Amino acid sequence: MSNTTWRVRSAYFTSVVSITLVLLMIGITSLLIINAHKLSDYAKSNIGFTVFLKENVRPIEIDRLEKTLSIAKYSKSAKFVSKEEASSKLINELGEDFIELMGYNPLPNSIEILLKPEYTQEDSINSIRREILKNKSVDEFFYQKSLVLAINENVKKLSLIGIIFTILFLFISVALINNTVRLSIFSKRFLIQTAQLVGASDKFIRKPFVIKSIISGILSASFASLAVTGIVLILKSDFKNIITVEGIWQIVSITFIFGITITGISGSRAVSQFLKTDSDKLQLEE
Amino acid sequence: MINYKGVSIVRKKVTILENINLSLNAGDFAYLTGNVGSGKSSLLKTIYAEIPVETGTAKVAGYSLNDIERNEIPYLRRKLGIIFQDYRLLNDRNIYDNLKFVLEAAEISDRKEIRNRISEVISKVNLEGRENKMPYELSGGEQQRAGIARAIVNNPQIILADEPTGNLDPDSYYSIMEILVKLAKAGTCVLIATHNQELIEKYPGINYHIENKTLRLI
Repeated sequence: MSNTTWRVRSAYFTSVVSITLVLLMIGITSLLIINAHKLSDYAKSNIGFTVFLKENVRPIEIDRLEKTLSIAKYSKSAKFVSKEEASSKLINELGEDFIELMGYNPLPNSIEILLKPEYTQEDSINSIRREILKNKSVDEFFYQKSLVLAINENVKKLSLIGIIFTILFLFISVALINNTVRLSIFSKRFLIQTAQLVGASDKFIRKPFVIKSIISGILSASFASLAVTGIVLILKSDFKNIITVEGIWQIVSITFIFGITITGISGSRAVSQFLKTDSDKLQLEE
Repeated sequence: MINYKGVSIVRKKVTILENINLSLNAGDFAYLTGNVGSGKSSLLKTIYAEIPVETGTAKVAGYSLNDIERNEIPYLRRKLGIIFQDYRLLNDRNIYDNLKFVLEAAEISDRKEIRNRISEVISKVNLEGRENKMPYELSGGEQQRAGIARAIVNNPQIILADEPTGNLDPDSYYSIMEILVKLAKAGTCVLIATHNQELIEKYPGINYHIENKTLRLI
């Protein structure tokens, strides 16, 4: 292989590596976006409320209420906690037998409900509360308002930060890929000019450059997809509820669509620019 | 073939040539002489529509340069063969592919025709056996002969040569000139920009000279 051919191939390899790294960044960002709702669902998975029951409610009614609550649209799970279970749990937590002190068990029977993520907003919980309190067996409805507010507030903040970073990454990626493609075409500007002078049309000159750019986009997207898939496979066992392989096809598709579109458009735009550049200016750009 | 009447060439608000008249027909063998920087290359650039003609009237190979559209320029250039002092071959492909590129750019896709035309011009410029060489593997004289082959492969009506012998030793440039003279005798209009007086004496032709921004026939 001659020196020139080697140099041309090495320049092409370098541009493919640069585009691969940028697409890898896009792939990881997509991975985070696709899994962001799982992360927020995970954070919200402990949000729920407790329904305290009146003293005289019969077991059959408790059973019916537990079933109704467990199949309600907002409910992820509903679990009956008898006053005995509640007291032994509290004794364990306090390390002191308060029943002995008081002479009776003051804790009521209760049902603990965990909510589906989409019903964890404060207004949803309030409307559930109004509905549940209509039931004659229910004495009290309790939820940790501050915890709900804090979780929702943090999820909102993180989503906003995520959106800002995604837009920033997209902007950086487009700029970097555009520059890489432009630079590789810039080195061929005299070839473009010579092609013009022998009577080649703009379309005829543009075509091989755009094809070559798109091929480098496809190659880079393939490498980036492999890397992202590797990352997902490594992380999925440690982050079982957050990262799954289900979204991998979406990420691969995004990487390919992004890689092909940006390299194609950048290639076409760069050639067009050199096609319209005056030959004297072309020399000055050296 | 080339008909300029009262043309002025202005670049970046500087007048390079004023009110020039130039008329060349098929089979003419002509020189464009003048000092370095006198405007020879600029005049050639107007002929292949790289510099627009804004005043006077200019016609080349049937195209009016005063109102030529950007998308018509490639079609005008397919009727011209341009030879440069620095050869300007496509360095990323061999000589055969350089010539093939011109034919493909001119929308000729028949492989047999491409092969025949290339072997015909390769033999005209005595480069048999060098078709598969890359441009940088050839000597200056050979590269310029490849440049001529590229200029004539599409059977142009006009050949424009900008200092074609500028970088060559005498033996090489005599062989180049002989090819150009033969092309003119075969009916191609040849216009050579040069400041080499020896060439003009050895291969006489029509001589247009540029001096003080004007063009006159000597």
